[in-house]
Amino acid sequence: MRFSWRDTLMSYAFLAPALLLLLAFTFYPLAYGTYLGFTEYTGARFARGLGPQWVGLRNFRTLLADPLFLTSLGNSVKYLLVVPALQLASLAVAVLVSRELPGMAFFRAAYYVPVVTSISLAAVMWEWVYNREGTLNWVLSALHLLPRGEAFGWLNNESTAFLAVMLVTFWRGFGYYMVLYLAGLQNIPAELEEAARLDGATPWQRFWQVTVPLMRPTILLCTLLSTIAALRVLEEVLVLTGGGPLNSTYTSLMYVYSKAFQGFNFDYGLASAAGLVVAVVALGLALVNFRLFGDARGEQS
Amino acid sequence: MKKLRLLALGFALTAGTASAQQPVELQFWTWYLSPKFDSYIKDTIAAFEKANPGIKVRWFDKQDSMVQDFIASVNLGNAPDVVNLNIDETMKAAQNGFLRASSDLSSPAVLASYYPQSVKNFTSGSKVYAYPWYGWLNEGVLLYNPDLFKKAGLTRAPRSMSEMLSYARTIKDKTGAYGWVPALKDPNTASFLGYFYSEGLPVYTADGRAAFNTPAHAALLQQYVTLYKGGYIPEDALRREAFQIATELYAQNRVAMIVGGPQALTRIKDTNPSLYGKTVVTDAPLGRANVQTGGSMALVVPTASKHPAEAARLAAFMTSNANQLAFAKVVPIVPTTRAAQNAAQFRQSGTDPVVRATALVGAAGRFINPGYKAPGNSDDLYKNFNDNIESAVMGKKTAQQALSDAAAYWNANMKK
Repeated sequence: MRFSWRDTLMSYAFLAPALLLLLAFTFYPLAYGTYLGFTEYTGARFARGLGPQWVGLRNFRTLLADPLFLTSLGNSVKYLLVVPALQLASLAVAVLVSRELPGMAFFRAAYYVPVVTSISLAAVMWEWVYNREGTLNWVLSALHLLPRGEAFGWLNNESTAFLAVMLVTFWRGFGYYMVLYLAGLQNIPAELEEAARLDGATPWQRFWQVTVPLMRPTILLCTLLSTIAALRVLEEVLVLTGGGPLNSTYTSLMYVYSKAFQGFNFDYGLASAAGLVVAVVALGLALVNFRLFGDARGEQS
Repeated sequence: MKKLRLLALGFALTAGTASAQQPVELQFWTWYLSPKFDSYIKDTIAAFEKANPGIKVRWFDKQDSMVQDFIASVNLGNAPDVVNLNIDETMKAAQNGFLRASSDLSSPAVLASYYPQSVKNFTSGSKVYAYPWYGWLNEGVLLYNPDLFKKAGLTRAPRSMSEMLSYARTIKDKTGAYGWVPALKDPNTASFLGYFYSEGLPVYTADGRAAFNTPAHAALLQQYVTLYKGGYIPEDALRREAFQIATELYAQNRVAMIVGGPQALTRIKDTNPSLYGKTVVTDAPLGRANVQTGGSMALVVPTASKHPAEAARLAAFMTSNANQLAFAKVVPIVPTTRAAQNAAQFRQSGTDPVVRATALVGAAGRFINPGYKAPGNSDDLYKNFNDNIESAVMGKKTAQQALSDAAAYWNANMKK
């Protein structure tokens, strides 16, 4: 095939709009945010029209000496427990609702509703669930799992608030990953499933020996997405607990948010440095995910 | 040559006249006032434009994202000219250099038209950074549910804070409802400091260091810790704004008293009209210092405003005595102008709870004082203070330890 300047220019011309958008909204903010992490850029400098001032590693030293940041980072890492539960559940339910049975369309839609529900609405609803006089205590009491008069506020208790918020993240993400898994399931050739059936494989064997290996690219994608989502969980924590009680639900993104947007006392430098630390943790976890599910491409081909 | 000079003069005069006739457009931002008060704001703006033919005002009402929008607009070079902020945010903005001093923009007579304490609330160093606008008193009015009082065997409202604390126990023990919801740790501020002020306990030393860790401070905090541990304060008071919880629970007959301004009544009127009709309105109890706490909104002129002189005129106009009194007729606010204390509209009597509450506090703007001033770096300091209050209330630290830890943090991190 002969090299053609015309074709090369044409291909770059088609790529240009997307590349420009990526440059403007992804690479530039990433590079600028990284630079800001090494600078002092506070509200006081900003208001006086002064730009960021290079301070080297000072912001990172501040972060390491700040117990609140370390607590928040620890909480974010703990929050990753939601990932395997979320992935296993959404994959299992995707397999169940992928069957063409009557009423399945309803279930697919029903599981997806939380994804499109606004967080403020969801927060009000979950408040009703978790309140001392809420539905959860009522149900547990009706089932005799909670003695009468022993009801407590799930969001006001250090040991339960974290799990309570995690459940909301699970509830919100479940439908999204289920839809991705459903799309992945539709890509599995029906003849493979059929061949396994003819060979006498049980549904359980077919799931583990056929479905799961062929779904590995989708599992990798979903695990990566949910790992990153869990690390940057913010909205549900902000509206349900505000990071409390006793900072037990205070996540690293809450720390970044408070430093970057806490009114006129903001500190873009420190917020960017904290964001960078979270990004490095996310990158490390992404590499772990690739190690676990990364050979999927080989199997697929 | 003479002709040329005349021609040049003619051009200069024409250009000068043209620029003088160019109308100035001011951007005016309010906070949470639309759509409920649209007609009042629009009418007042129209009156200002009529009195100032060269000035046009574009009004925007901001809600949650006010401060972020303000910072973004400064960044984009499109800053508003007049902005509505509360005391705490004004102080934070001024400390960081976002505001022009109103004492530089307006004559002393303008600032003298407000109560001295109202001006003091917005003073940083030797400069005033705002035009005080409508206010409210935290301890101005006590509202109570007479049915719950009767059930608890109580015949009158509490007359002191210590009586208030004992009422909380009696009401909960006899009715199951909470007595009231104290502001233990309202988000974005350090509300418990207000209780120290009410009891005459200092928040700062004379040289501006944190001074809220004496045994007397700890003893006061301990009283609230004991109440919380006994189940006499709603758990949510550690998670949400006290006033919001109180108005919600009061409307459900689950809180017997609300301490606050008439603004609570307008909410109750909407959610539980029959309880609104029964609600008793009376003076709120004060602490040992016999002072009230309260807050106020203000209008400020950003450093980045392109028309500061005109902006100052608009801010002074909107916050003038006549316009604050007109606003007080629309919603029960407490005006911050000196002349308001003589206004006939606050001497009315009637059976309607809002009218009674307005009569109690409408002319009391001189008492508006949050009880503490935002220190530099206040967001970090407030967070630490609230975390320590929470630790004490949840039994993780003693009251004394929590206050000592907070004071130590403040003194190590306070930027003055």
